[in-house]
Amino acid sequence: MMSRFSLQTRRSKDRAATLLLYCAALLLCAGVFFALYFVASRGWQVISWEFITEPPRDGMTAGGIWTPLVGTLQLTFLSMMATIPVGVATGLYFSEYASDNAFTRILRLAIRSLAGVPSVVFGLFGLSLFVVLLGFGSSMLSASLTLACLALPLMITASEQAFMAVPKEYRDASYALGATRWQTICKVVFPSAASTVVTGIILSVGRVAGETAPIIFTGAAFYTPGLARSIFEEVMALPYHIYVLATAGVNIEQTRPIQYGAILVLVVLVLSVSSLGIWMRRRRL
Amino acid sequence: MTNIAVSSVITGREDRDAGTEKDVHIGTRGLDLYYGEAHVLKSVSFDMYRSSVTAFIGPSGCGKSSFIRCVNRMNDFIAGARVTGELLVDGDDIYAPGTDVIALRRRVGMVFQKPNPFPMSIYDNIAYGPRLFGVTDKDQLDDIVRRSLEWAALWEEVQDKLGSSGTGLSGGQQQRLCIARAIATEPEILLMDEPTSALDPLSTARIEELIRDLKKDFTVVIVTHNMQQAARISDYTAFFLMGELIEYGKTSKIFTAPDEARTGDYITGRFG
Ligand SMILES: Nc1ncnc2c1ncn2[C@@H]1O[C@H](COP(=O)(O)OP(=O)(O)OP(=O)(O)O)[C@@H](O)[C@H]1O
Ligand SMILES: [Mg+2]
Repeated sequence: MMSRFSLQTRRSKDRAATLLLYCAALLLCAGVFFALYFVASRGWQVISWEFITEPPRDGMTAGGIWTPLVGTLQLTFLSMMATIPVGVATGLYFSEYASDNAFTRILRLAIRSLAGVPSVVFGLFGLSLFVVLLGFGSSMLSASLTLACLALPLMITASEQAFMAVPKEYRDASYALGATRWQTICKVVFPSAASTVVTGIILSVGRVAGETAPIIFTGAAFYTPGLARSIFEEVMALPYHIYVLATAGVNIEQTRPIQYGAILVLVVLVLSVSSLGIWMRRRRL
Repeated sequence: MTNIAVSSVITGREDRDAGTEKDVHIGTRGLDLYYGEAHVLKSVSFDMYRSSVTAFIGPSGCGKSSFIRCVNRMNDFIAGARVTGELLVDGDDIYAPGTDVIALRRRVGMVFQKPNPFPMSIYDNIAYGPRLFGVTDKDQLDDIVRRSLEWAALWEEVQDKLGSSGTGLSGGQQQRLCIARAIATEPEILLMDEPTSALDPLSTARIEELIRDLKKDFTVVIVTHNMQQAARISDYTAFFLMGELIEYGKTSKIFTAPDEARTGDYITGRFG
């Protein structure tokens, strides 16, 4: 009797916990979908070919988002140019070269915690290092490097895990045939891990493209008349453009539709890049 | 070990296909292997001869795989693995500081206990070793791939699908692919860890034939749980028990008149 009773309480506790978690998940999804709906319902009217391909006009109260859109693509591309080699190399170091000792454990821990640092801290770091100390000024270069720092922990962790997931048997087979460590990395480890590394890159792109805080102090422009032609120029960026439209425009009410249109484009951009990454990751496993 | 030398001196007879016993290819002197605290090989000393087949027998966990992994220094990759004593290949201690491990592994091929083909095509699996050594000529590679597959009794089954993945083969086919890959570089010593454990009788017979062929040029060390196989193909047999080399000598002697009662018990299956 006693045991049946306790089994029943356990069952109902289990059911209650399931329900609670289910509700929490539902609430979260509802929140996300409401936000999406909110943005989409207000933004979709302004979306047009011209909106995408024309620069802002009339003190940013009219026109499109071409300049900030291209700026975001430039920043993302440039930051990936820095993040990918450094991140993949560091991931390789951790997975193939680093022995498990106090030093590498501290390094790993540092990288994990770096992933949790608020992005504005990266912004201030970029300001003092790239803008001031290295003298790159407020520019596409400084902003991209700051974004690169932000994405680095993610890139390192993703590529380290990708390399670690390569079965030991492959390495053994390679070494037993007389391969050097570098040959083994190039011919066996890297090809087996490549698609997982690409997934990490895509997730990093998704992380970087929507960031505002790291670029405000380091190279994002309030307004530029045209596209940036060199990496030493300031550059408009979509997230910052939205922030500007919402807080510092000439006529905030008048620019509302443009704001929502810009948000919609950014959200769709980031969501699709991230979903692509998640889909690729799922497909691998 | 001593009784071989003595017996061959007394009888004055050399086993013709067994290589000369003066020609030691692999020798160990008080070899100990530890995995952390675990003492896996205990002061193993014996000589293996050039152009001969040496079979390692012994119950599961006695250290046979561990021993052959010492010979190409694959134990280097196991954290906490430590070797003391000497392991001589052609008279050189391969654990001496300054040993070129890469060069060693090019001379000592290995077939692993578990088949481990690369996730690449059958062709690329076999061409992997030769390419490491700088063979780039297409015709030459084609030749090596074909010959190695024929040797390993796999050519007929895969000749039409050399481009398909090696991991898509059956377990037994993967095993033969790994054998083909190991011999493609023509190592002077071939370590084979239960190479026929996943094979049907026909392929097993082909591999045994291969081993007999190989020993004309190569020194073969083979781990096997199949006593008949050891008796059939090996010239010498080493019996291990809990990390110790209990007995080593001519296969004909080990299987007919072993010095140690434990050896006889194991071979006849009276051993737990
Ligand atoms: N990587 C490892 N780390 C720690 N201990 C190991 C490792 N590999 C093997 N051992 C231990 O070393 C001992 C010998 O193992 P080994 O694989 O050499 O046995 P074996 O004779 O090849 O057995 P089997 O016939 O089952 O293949 C075992 O007790 C095993 O637990
Ligand atoms: Mg074994």
